[in-house]
Amino acid sequence: MQSVLLVLLGGALLRLSLSGAYQNYVKPGLGVYLTLSGAILAVLGVWGAVRSGQPAEASEHEDDGHGHGPGGTRAAWLLLLPVLTVFLIAPPPLGAFAADRTRSSIPPPADSAAALPVLPKPDPVDIGVVDFALRAVWDDGKTLAGRTVRMVGFVTPAPGGGWYLTKMQISCCAADAQPFRIRTIGAPAFATDTWVEVVGSWVPGGGTQRDDAIPNVKVATVVQVRRPTNPYE
Amino acid sequence: MGLLVLLLSQRWIAGLFDGHPALQAFATIFVAICVQAMPFLVLGVLISGAIAAFVPPAFWTRALPANTALAVPVAASAGALLPGCECASVPIAGGLVARGVAPSAALAFLLSAPAINPVVLVATSVAFPGRPMMVLARFVASLATAIVVGWLWARFGRAGWMKPSPRPDLSGMHRFDAFRTSVQHDFLSAGGYLVVGGLTAAALNVLVPREWLQAVAGHAVFSVLFMAGLAVILAICSEADAFVAASLTQFSLTSRLTFLVVGPTVDVKLIAMQTGAFGRSFAMRFAPMTFVTAILVSVAVGAWLL
Repeated sequence: MQSVLLVLLGGALLRLSLSGAYQNYVKPGLGVYLTLSGAILAVLGVWGAVRSGQPAEASEHEDDGHGHGPGGTRAAWLLLLPVLTVFLIAPPPLGAFAADRTRSSIPPPADSAAALPVLPKPDPVDIGVVDFALRAVWDDGKTLAGRTVRMVGFVTPAPGGGWYLTKMQISCCAADAQPFRIRTIGAPAFATDTWVEVVGSWVPGGGTQRDDAIPNVKVATVVQVRRPTNPYE
Repeated sequence: MGLLVLLLSQRWIAGLFDGHPALQAFATIFVAICVQAMPFLVLGVLISGAIAAFVPPAFWTRALPANTALAVPVAASAGALLPGCECASVPIAGGLVARGVAPSAALAFLLSAPAINPVVLVATSVAFPGRPMMVLARFVASLATAIVVGWLWARFGRAGWMKPSPRPDLSGMHRFDAFRTSVQHDFLSAGGYLVVGGLTAAALNVLVPREWLQAVAGHAVFSVLFMAGLAVILAICSEADAFVAASLTQFSLTSRLTFLVVGPTVDVKLIAMQTGAFGRSFAMRFAPMTFVTAILVSVAVGAWLL
């Protein structure tokens, strides 16, 4: 009976990984391993179902299939919870609620001695929120000055009015997400959690060489966009 | 029929979560923890299944020193060979105990593997650029914790505390059938407890106010204890915890080292999985003992290296 559980779980992993929806929860690099795990679980489930369907095996499996001791396999049915959550609720990627719970912390770049590479021409240049914040705070905005950038992120309310262009960075999964914020200047109001594309330019004043600085972007245009497949950086 | 009802009510169920950002964040983090763990859990149960089906028990008596005091450090060092996180090492340790390896040696492996393997150490060095001592301190403190806890268990542990979950009887089965049965059993039992741990960690992640961080960061003793507690409740994968520790810049290096040493050995997800693998009376003693050892070792190593 529990072979069905393996097939369900394998199917859920395959669907998440092949549709790309897994990126709402974990790093893109994990996708191929999720596909592989899903396939292995599905094969194991089918293999188990075939074996336990054979009369010689059936009685034996009834015995150990529903263990009654501590840590018996009854706990296995809990695995239905994440499967049902994925299929029925399909929770969205972390947004303003999670971002607002954590203060900004922009870590210094890995090799602080090396100069950051010049951004490619022409303007406006596409750049990540994390990259922008790093260049603004730990390189005093040298590589941003005089350039027009284009960034995608979601809206979180800024204290004292206005909003931050925000993006979450994850290292493995959403449980370790860290927010990166950029203060927008001269932007029209948007509802919290709206995904937007901002074209604008860096202006000094957000503070530099401090990991809790929040850099500024002077907004030229801002439009609502669809949430990207990978909502994290 | 049940499935049909579920599909029809999907809109309604999803609607319950709309407009409740805390509930949505909880669900997202819960799914994230489970999904993230799956490849590592599958790797772990495949290895433990292969151990059960293809490696004769006599191998372990030859590979590990008969003297437990020596077997513990050997097993702990062997943890460096398993590139995974804690979800992989729980079923493997369970499989080792089932094959007759001394529990203290298997436990030393269980504690060291998620913390000292190359993938985790490289991740740590990336997260702490320009601080190679952090990587060394993590390696030394995690290995020392695993060895000390292994020795403590060898000296004071009682066999009755450890009740390995009933495992399927593989004797007389064809080897591939034994492999399949073992993998299915290990996956389902570890997976169920992973879900318990994931639910707990996601709830705490959403409920515990982050202002607490600021309040204790400046205090030398409290900050160490707080970071140890944070590692337990966040239950972050050992391959990612260094990045979180690196971002908590308001905390001292020693308290962040404690976070990195405690996390892979004691957290709500692991406690749940250890309960599943070895029983409640085991987890009730093993987790606090490991927690205290990890803190003391981290403070000592932090004072020496950082």
